[in-house]
Amino acid sequence: MPDLADLCRVAVEAAEDGEAVEAYAEESKRTEASALRGEVEGLEFAEGRGVGVRVVRDSRLGYAWAADPDADEVREIVRRARENAALAGADEHHVLPDPAPWEPIAELFREASADVAPETKTKLALDLEARAISRDPRVTKIDEAQVGDAVSRVAIASTTGIEAEYARTDAWCLAVTLAVEGDETQTGFSFRIARGLDELAWEDVADEAVERGVRMLGAAKPPTARLPVVFDQFAAMSFLGVLAGALSADAVQKGRSLFANLVGEQVGSELFTLVDDGTTIEGPGAAPFDDEGVPSGRTELFTKGVLNGFLHDAYTAHKGGTESTGNGKRGYRTPPGVGTSNFFLDAGTSSRDELLRAAEGGVLIQDVSGVHSGANPISGEFSVGATGLRISGGEPGEPLREMTIASTIPDMLKAITGVGDDLRFFSSVGTPSVLVGEMTLAGV
Amino acid sequence: MLPRELVEDVLGVARRRGGSFSELFVEERTSTSIRLDDGKVEELTTGRDRGAGVRVALGTSYGYAYSNRLDRDALLEAAEAASAALADGEAGDVIDLTAREGRGTNRTDRPAGTFPAADKVAWLRELDDAARALSPHVVQVGGAYGDSLQRKLIATSDGTWVEEERPRIRLVAQVVAARDGVIQTGFFGPAACAGVEFFDRFTADAIGRKAAERAVTMLDSIPAPAGEMPVVLAPGMGGVLFHEAVGHPLESDAVDKEASVYRGRVGERCASALVNGVDDATIANGWGSYDFDDEGEPSQRTVLFEDGVLQGFLYDRLRAEKDAVSSTGNGRRESYAQPPIPRMTNTNILDGADDVDGIVEGTDRGVFVSSLGGGQVNPATGDFVFGVSEGFLIEGGKVTTPVRGANLIGRAIEVMSAVDAVAGDFDTWEGVCGKDGQQAPVGSGSPTLRIARITVGGTGA
Repeated sequence: MPDLADLCRVAVEAAEDGEAVEAYAEESKRTEASALRGEVEGLEFAEGRGVGVRVVRDSRLGYAWAADPDADEVREIVRRARENAALAGADEHHVLPDPAPWEPIAELFREASADVAPETKTKLALDLEARAISRDPRVTKIDEAQVGDAVSRVAIASTTGIEAEYARTDAWCLAVTLAVEGDETQTGFSFRIARGLDELAWEDVADEAVERGVRMLGAAKPPTARLPVVFDQFAAMSFLGVLAGALSADAVQKGRSLFANLVGEQVGSELFTLVDDGTTIEGPGAAPFDDEGVPSGRTELFTKGVLNGFLHDAYTAHKGGTESTGNGKRGYRTPPGVGTSNFFLDAGTSSRDELLRAAEGGVLIQDVSGVHSGANPISGEFSVGATGLRISGGEPGEPLREMTIASTIPDMLKAITGVGDDLRFFSSVGTPSVLVGEMTLAGV
Repeated sequence: MLPRELVEDVLGVARRRGGSFSELFVEERTSTSIRLDDGKVEELTTGRDRGAGVRVALGTSYGYAYSNRLDRDALLEAAEAASAALADGEAGDVIDLTAREGRGTNRTDRPAGTFPAADKVAWLRELDDAARALSPHVVQVGGAYGDSLQRKLIATSDGTWVEEERPRIRLVAQVVAARDGVIQTGFFGPAACAGVEFFDRFTADAIGRKAAERAVTMLDSIPAPAGEMPVVLAPGMGGVLFHEAVGHPLESDAVDKEASVYRGRVGERCASALVNGVDDATIANGWGSYDFDDEGEPSQRTVLFEDGVLQGFLYDRLRAEKDAVSSTGNGRRESYAQPPIPRMTNTNILDGADDVDGIVEGTDRGVFVSSLGGGQVNPATGDFVFGVSEGFLIEGGKVTTPVRGANLIGRAIEVMSAVDAVAGDFDTWEGVCGKDGQQAPVGSGSPTLRIARITVGGTGA
């Protein structure tokens, strides 16, 4: 198999006079094992690689890609990208970034995690299921118990002089339980991600999935009321996708962001600090450089509620007269666009118990649904479905379902009155528990 | 796509530890996508994907391995890896592979791949012009064009050999309208498993105009009311709801895992007697149509509800074998990179006898939904949530003011049982459905229908 960096070089060498060419190559090897009813449900091996090429000629961008190309095919991709560029609109902001020094991230690639036997993963999946169905008499079956890991490599080269590559290892496990009582079924979900399987607290995943399902049994629809609300990490995470979209400079430049024209303003509560940081190894989205070869960095998007700026790739940075924040993201099948690395709400100082005590009589929301369909990215208005638990005596109690929360993103950010110290990453987004002083929960 | 002898060897190696069958899925896909933004071609991408996946199954357990490479070594290596999922057993055999011909569900005389990219850019320009011409309040127009041609071969150790070509085409318009500081968006994106004749049904002009109309209409919207009320769904939208809230729990993997509200209820009334529903992969050039599913089973029309009575589930091979029934031809996969799972194809509520105008006239106060955004369902509980991207108040039997920010929230069985009127103006809506990390093109269809009572989540009074 040709080396990724060599394939990238072939593309760059195929550049004609007057054009900028960039090749992005990636390969990954992934294994996933799942268990069901005490047996291996599935064992999947995935091995994929591909190359994508950008050609910029007369300020016109063309893109082409192929799965597993050889050197001849890479030259063919360059030729097709060139043809595509000829039909594209001229845009002076189509520029390839210049090379800049980047720091390798130690521990991103763990040798020991790169070559774990499949049997280890099937055993872990079986153990995960076994534990999940032995914790509570109401949980005797699961919907999903899965363990997986991956080794990936990325290489980038361009006519501006970028030549960079890195490798990474990732591991994850997830469980979805079914809690049953009488006619009623509730599901409980949990998920964790780490650099290697040995770092995964899989027992916690099983226990948490059980608890989150069981405690929802008997859920009723509450009366409509205005109450303090604590979003646990799972529920709070659902909103981060909307925030990420609105904080992309691309959305801002196209007039599709609710945060346009608000830089320097107090948009959220003083407790609200939102960060994108591709250099922190704590998050699964860590990488030494982004998918255009720009070094990763830490970008504080909101500091104590004040909006500082947006996430940029090379294109939006050129257009906005600023620097890329190292947020050019992609797979080989698409040209880069603005995306997040490790995107998280910075941890606060309150313990979860303090947040619950402060929300006495209110609701702990454990799941929201429909954020993507129910949130207007421009106006920030949203209406979502929610399930949760009544907080009484500082503890989550009576389960509640079929609630709806309708508000706007800015109103919600302003109303944050507590942020937990329990920051947790799900994939590349992370959040602690969040207390919102007062919200309308619509029920019956 | 591959020599028969190589395919037989791969299937044989995959069964070196036995299993009930082995399967090879080979795919080559070429695609073009073009994005037009602010009147400019922002992105023009062409791609070529290729790969093969080997699966071996025993009961509902399976091993799966794929590779981008189609050479002998890579394929045998994948077969060996897949077989590792099984405990040691006696090797299984591969019987004669007999080619089966499809009926040509998605036949096209004008494949998009034979048209120059310049034509495709011209279709986007037409869309852009039409959207801008509709109203001075249209401030942004985004257009996306995509076509692809997937060639696939599926062979199994129990004798299946099918080859099929699936052409796809889609044109999407996304429009932003603004007036006095109010900003609204409109979307329309029809699609088909077809060639360029697709534009005989939907012109680029009409697609642009429709999205612009939606955005401009919503400029006058007021916050949606909240509470329980009757909701009338425009043609196609009942199908979207049916797909999400009912179709997913009818997929046999959810049923098998006891994570479906419909488990054990075949033969029972689980919807209003007015509801007749099918999943139909045989509709000519339908977005979710095919000759054979991604396990090589012939496609079919499966009746799900007859007069509100549940008739059955949607099966792939593994779940069908377990339940000792025939596959309904619903084993689908996004690509060679994933094993097949039970999926819907074109899921439709069939025409009823009610008069369209009468349905609205007979509704004193409620919401008329002309376009739904995304939705989510928990198949185990049947709880679902849907965003309404274009809706109107119904007041005194008339469709009046547009509303924004509405959600439909409910439980599958309760809501489908509350359907109290079904008209005869069937239409479809094409979307992309996500499940277990796999995307599948799906069609949804229905006539106008009314739900007597459903929770509307809104921000208004």
